Amino acid sequence: MAAQTNEAEAKLIDHVDALQARMKEMRKAQEIFASYTQEQVDKIFFAAAMAANKARIPLAKMAVAETGMGIVEDKVIKNHYASEYIYNAYKNTKTCGVIEEDPAYGIRKIAEPIGLVAAVIPTTNPTSTAIFKTLICLKTRNAIIISPHPRAKNCTIEAARIVLEAAVAAGAPENIISWIDVPSLDLTNEVMRNADIILATGGPGMVKAAYSSGKPALGVGAGNTPVIIDDTADIRLAVNSVIHSKTFDNGMICASEQSVTVVGDIYDEVKREFQYRGCYFLKEDELDKVRHTILINGALNAKIVGQSAHTIAKLSGVDVPEATKILIGEVESVDISEEFAHEKLSPVLAMYHAEDFDEAIAKAKQLVADGGYGHTSSLYIHPAQKEKILKHAAAMKTCRIVINTPSSHGGIGDLYNFKVTPSLTLGCGSWGGNSVSDNVGVKHLINIKTVAERRENMLWFRAPQKVYFKKGCMPVALDELGTVMGKKKCFIVTDSFLYKNGYVKPIEEKLDQMGIRHTCFFEVAPDPNLSSALAGARAMTAFEPDCIIALGGGSAMDAGKIMWVLYEHPEVDFLDLAMRFMDIRKRIYTFPKMGEKAYFVAIPTSSGTGSEVTPFAVITDDRTGTKYPLADYELLPNMAIIDADNMMEQPKGLTSASGVDALTHALEAYASIMATDYTDGLALKAMKSVFEYLPRAYENGADDPVAREKMADASCLAGMAFANAFLGVCHSMAHKLGAYHHLPHGVANALLICEVMRFNAVEVPPKMGTFSQYRYPHTLSRYAECARFCGVCGKDDGETLELFIKKIEELKEKVGIKKCIRDYGIDEKDFLDNLDQMVEDAFDDQCTGANPRYPLMSEIKDMYLRAYYGK
Amino acid sequence: MEDMKQVIFTRPHKTIYAAGDKIIKVFDRRYTAADVLNEARNEALVEQYATLDVPSFVSVSETPEGWCLARKKIEGKTLAEIMDEEPEKLETYMEKFVALQMTVHGQKVFSIKRLRHKLMDQINSLKDVSATVRYELATRLQSMPKHTKLCHGDFNPSNVIVDGDGRWWIIDWAHAAQGNASADAAMTYLLFCLEDKSKADLYLKLFCEKSDTARQYVERWLPIVAAAQLTKQKEEQKDFLTGWIDVAEYQ
Repeated sequence: MAAQTNEAEAKLIDHVDALQARMKEMRKAQEIFASYTQEQVDKIFFAAAMAANKARIPLAKMAVAETGMGIVEDKVIKNHYASEYIYNAYKNTKTCGVIEEDPAYGIRKIAEPIGLVAAVIPTTNPTSTAIFKTLICLKTRNAIIISPHPRAKNCTIEAARIVLEAAVAAGAPENIISWIDVPSLDLTNEVMRNADIILATGGPGMVKAAYSSGKPALGVGAGNTPVIIDDTADIRLAVNSVIHSKTFDNGMICASEQSVTVVGDIYDEVKREFQYRGCYFLKEDELDKVRHTILINGALNAKIVGQSAHTIAKLSGVDVPEATKILIGEVESVDISEEFAHEKLSPVLAMYHAEDFDEAIAKAKQLVADGGYGHTSSLYIHPAQKEKILKHAAAMKTCRIVINTPSSHGGIGDLYNFKVTPSLTLGCGSWGGNSVSDNVGVKHLINIKTVAERRENMLWFRAPQKVYFKKGCMPVALDELGTVMGKKKCFIVTDSFLYKNGYVKPIEEKLDQMGIRHTCFFEVAPDPNLSSALAGARAMTAFEPDCIIALGGGSAMDAGKIMWVLYEHPEVDFLDLAMRFMDIRKRIYTFPKMGEKAYFVAIPTSSGTGSEVTPFAVITDDRTGTKYPLADYELLPNMAIIDADNMMEQPKGLTSASGVDALTHALEAYASIMATDYTDGLALKAMKSVFEYLPRAYENGADDPVAREKMADASCLAGMAFANAFLGVCHSMAHKLGAYHHLPHGVANALLICEVMRFNAVEVPPKMGTFSQYRYPHTLSRYAECARFCGVCGKDDGETLELFIKKIEELKEKVGIKKCIRDYGIDEKDFLDNLDQMVEDAFDDQCTGANPRYPLMSEIKDMYLRAYYGK
Repeated sequence: MEDMKQVIFTRPHKTIYAAGDKIIKVFDRRYTAADVLNEARNEALVEQYATLDVPSFVSVSETPEGWCLARKKIEGKTLAEIMDEEPEKLETYMEKFVALQMTVHGQKVFSIKRLRHKLMDQINSLKDVSATVRYELATRLQSMPKHTKLCHGDFNPSNVIVDGDGRWWIIDWAHAAQGNASADAAMTYLLFCLEDKSKADLYLKLFCEKSDTARQYVERWLPIVAAAQLTKQKEEQKDFLTGWIDVAEYQ
């Protein structure tokens, strides 16, 4: 016997060493508990909730006897609520292991316990809070050590003991719940310092201590709930709800009402109802007596907390009937200097009159600021007054706003609204200096691990609805505009050269035949600029076409696309359209929906740009000289007509530059980090055709219609490849080289492509491009695949690449491309002076992102220099 | 020397004499050497590090009655006497009194004791007060902002001497510490309240105005300084102070 007593005494937690030893044991217990399955945990959770529920009456009696506060019958409800409602809310909640899984997205969420929870428990709701906190810790496989308040230590400890014993009997490890036997601030601080998280409920002092401990804390704040009774409210419901809530456990729920503001001329009726239901309105001289009793120097008198109205009246020297429910002070000031404006934690209530709803809101706002930031506010109103309800919600800096609801019951949840999480620890958000703004529950006591498997980006393949091809297909295609689509008005965009040389004639004739009215804008400049696009858009707006035909090279087709946007969406801001993006599907700016006014047909007259099938358009702001590359699938033409008849008379220079451009499109699309099987086939076929037919088209021109047609198709195939796989750093650099030094786009690409291929083919690049399906640097073998498809084969990938580059150099030579940038008469000083800015601009070009090797600016500079001097 | 000693006044456990150009405080045996040396150290530290008019420290010695502390005598009246003599100028004097206290708060004397340690020790030593109240007070103290301003700790008009040249001297640094100025103001307010509530309210109004401090912030210290004052075991103050300390935190 003696030995046992000694052992029990030795285990008494009344000093730091004993506490530290106990916390060590608890950590061991928790380690074991952490391995429990959901099934085991749920069994324990059930047993513990049942045990606490069974003890609800003795615990309530103990709490009232020990603290001298509150009402036994109400504390029974709180204990009952803390066991039953918490169990019910979480009985099916997954808190162990995998709690969420989505195999398609490769994502799995795993719940892990936090470890050792420190719980600070107040005197106002000691047993119910102890039940609540121990239960949610058991459900989450945490250990919990309780620091009770000295005034409520016996009942708090008893509640914890009952839960612990039931939990252990149901299989929980010993010591999974523990407590300080002899509370002191030092021990509380020690508990908070050594726990993994703190669940602090109570006054601001304790919550501050929790937050200052250096450990994560779920602290909650003080409330000063203001009630507004609007003149549309159901007065009987309002008054009796307030009485019900305010008298509950003698007003000790922190969400309890502290003041009532009555709107308009229902004041007397509200007052009568309060009186009829047993509330006492303090007379003039009694007001001061109560004022000086409830508050001492601005602080709440501990003697009134949780006492009955009669007891408080007696302490104040005021005589009221014993059955009085609430002492009500009719006061005017909402300033903190008014004692009635404070939180009273007892059945004492302030009552205000407001002329109108706005005044009532202003008063409630001040009362919240006086001492209830973030907690709870309450409104009684006719449910149809939606606007007022919204106005009130917007004005209240409280995390709980209850409508037509007793606020004590409404705040803790699940009693008058069944979506409010039941809890006895109510977060007050940053307004109340808290880390949580909702009702604290199991989700706050688990760490969630997210297991994310690598997944590839979901891609699509986009092309115009119709791509007509074969030499002579144009009239057949145009026929569809009239006979199938019933278009009435057609706007043709082209350049002056094509217009003057009769290229528009066959189109006009066909449109005339079908009775489609038409007009033609033929002032597109070689580098299309914004002012000519705006002029075209104005003409379009005046003409109101339901069909647009862009005829020409890249310039006319790009200009047509821009005019189309400006015609359909005159409201758009150009800079928004041109904003750079990392992923076209995630861009910040949503491109406007196109095609609602007009159907867009693109007819190329050169074989290179592929613009007839791409979602891109480049335009220069002629006032600033800035080039805007626009990219969005909304810009994709609805119909493309690839008819070699329109391309027969291309001059040699154009044939060569645009032909090499098409080759570059195919090579970059194939090397892109976004290349797929869908684009690879198009790119391979395109590049093979260029090698085979470009020299013939260049040499023979209109005399070799087969070569012309093959080149037209190659250009379009390459266009579809890069419309979906995008390009790379060769185009980035070519865009800027062309802009800075006025080189034709195709020539600029031709001068850079071989440098870029060697750059990309490096097996150990300093940085690789970022894209989920781009697994490792593999561009050397990708180029080797291209080479073999085009008939070039070396002993290994490296030699194959060199042979392939040689073949490209030979092709360039055959079609009259010079060796280096300098050969095009670009002044060396001018080139070097602008180089750094050109490098930075190229780096930031939209095409850079898809390059397989992520380029450093210094590397771009080196490539430019080598391309300038020809090594 | 002994014969020339003239009793100025007696307090429980100490007697204050004037002796030539010195003032000698003789403590009874209830005061330990450490208590008296601490007071002497405070006076010496303030004299050395603060820019304030304080009488020079002279010596600490032991007499058959107990330990005694000597400092230079300042010729003049206490501000308390002057306030009583000229009630019509109370507000002017009070303003200057507040300004002087704020000058003290502007001083830094780093080797002096921390106010919050001192207050915590005082709270823990209150054996007549229930564990619950001590716990509440300790929690409240711990949550208060921690500063390092020089606080006199017993700043009241009887500890200010106005000399013939109109200089205001601050005496009796026994309770000095470094800490939160509002705690010091709360103590002064409490000391006034023990004598005259209207003076107390005038003082607090002026202090809050001049130092741009919210009244509630000073009020949050009142239960704590009341507990500190309770440790001085003045029977006549006990009920009053006990009434101030039994407060609950808002929840």
